[in-house]
Amino acid sequence: MLRQAVRWLGRGAAPRALSTVSNQKGLSGISDVSATEVDAASLTAKCHGGVSSDPILRKCNIAVPKHLMPVQAWVESLKHYDARYEGLTDLHPDVFAVMPRIDILHTVAIWQKNFKRISYAKTKSRAEVRGGGRKPWQQKGTGRARHGSTRSPLWRGGGVAHGPRGPTSYYYMLPMKMRVLGLKVALTTKLAQDNLHIVDSLELPTSDPQYLMDLARYRHWGQSVLIVDVNEIPEDIKSATSSLKTITVIPAIGLNVHSMLKYETLVLSLDTVSFLEEKLLWHDTRYSPLYPFRLPYSDFP
Amino acid sequence: MAALVLARIGLSRAQLLGGPRQRLLSLAVAHLSQESAELSHGNLQYPGIVESTEEYRFVERLIPPTRVPEPPKHGTYPTPSGWRPPQDPPPAFPYFVRRSRMHNIPVYRKMTHGCRKLTVIRKIEGDIWALEKEVKEFLTELSGKTPPTQVNEIACFILIKGYFDEELKKWLMDKGF
Repeated sequence: MLRQAVRWLGRGAAPRALSTVSNQKGLSGISDVSATEVDAASLTAKCHGGVSSDPILRKCNIAVPKHLMPVQAWVESLKHYDARYEGLTDLHPDVFAVMPRIDILHTVAIWQKNFKRISYAKTKSRAEVRGGGRKPWQQKGTGRARHGSTRSPLWRGGGVAHGPRGPTSYYYMLPMKMRVLGLKVALTTKLAQDNLHIVDSLELPTSDPQYLMDLARYRHWGQSVLIVDVNEIPEDIKSATSSLKTITVIPAIGLNVHSMLKYETLVLSLDTVSFLEEKLLWHDTRYSPLYPFRLPYSDFP
Repeated sequence: MAALVLARIGLSRAQLLGGPRQRLLSLAVAHLSQESAELSHGNLQYPGIVESTEEYRFVERLIPPTRVPEPPKHGTYPTPSGWRPPQDPPPAFPYFVRRSRMHNIPVYRKMTHGCRKLTVIRKIEGDIWALEKEVKEFLTELSGKTPPTQVNEIACFILIKGYFDEELKKWLMDKGF
């Protein structure tokens, strides 16, 4: 509690100290160092052990359009239960504040479900059912209905008319830009619904799964948590989540709309945010491919 | 057959050695008999491969970029094609129309059913209804009657009945988008 208060004080003091410095310089030049400035500087130095004076820990690497402002989110830490407000991060508005296109989200989620589906339903037609080659009775004279085969779809034990035929592929591909927009919309909605959390790194003090469960419970992360990291995933969190069913760690290239909708909370590391912004914003400025993107291009991200 | 193979070896050798020994194809063919005669003695000593990174920049020059470049600074605007960059700082309206990835105004013609002529304004951000109102006022002044419009708030575009793309492009550009 006390530490928290000190940290808050420090954070409040930092911008004030900066403004004091700039004011002094603006008014009377660099040589004239006043007592208040020294005071403020020493206070800043004292209060901030590890935390830098700028509360925004990460700026957008890619230029934000001039008519938009970056959105912000708290940077948390997994190292302690109370390390919830380590600083702020700027998030690019074209990734984390796009139009919430629920229709795109639906399209992408359904595509993810279907494009890898193979239906194995298969029935036997009258040609495939065994037997039935002989006419069961003569055409005329018996008083019975005319039939040419005992395996006709009309007969019990006969073939199926218009049944499912063999393994069917449901593969189709959505346009790449639509899939990208799906990811952006999913990230936006997670942020808007307060289900997106940014952490500085995935370092844990222990590899105990219970610690992670308690942390998620303490921070109201809900039923299920999806943790995403672009770097090598630390051993601690790997072993902690290996036995947990509701907390999962995936690499950043595996991030997808289905998982984001399935899990309640999404936890991104700072490097992952940079990675996602770079990868997703590239699609806003790229040409249509001249040839497939796996072949060499001079500035492929 | 064997002679042909030998001739091919002779050719590649001539190319590899390069420099003064490199000849035109016809010359090389003319000298084939000599080369093959040389090789037939059995001294199959291939010259080593010389790896050169010097010329790779010519290859790099051919690899295309994926990103649309930023437009260069022109002396005067509009350019001969009528293009202008968006105003800096951006204009203060409750709405914003963003440029397309090719840095043009996203106003397009559209035709459905072979005869239903429409104009579409895409990439609208902010208050789309305010823009629709102003578009209607502008087109009423222009054509004398109010064209029917359709606003898609979700996908952020406006459909206008009739072809007004050139007028709307100019109008939006004058507004500073």
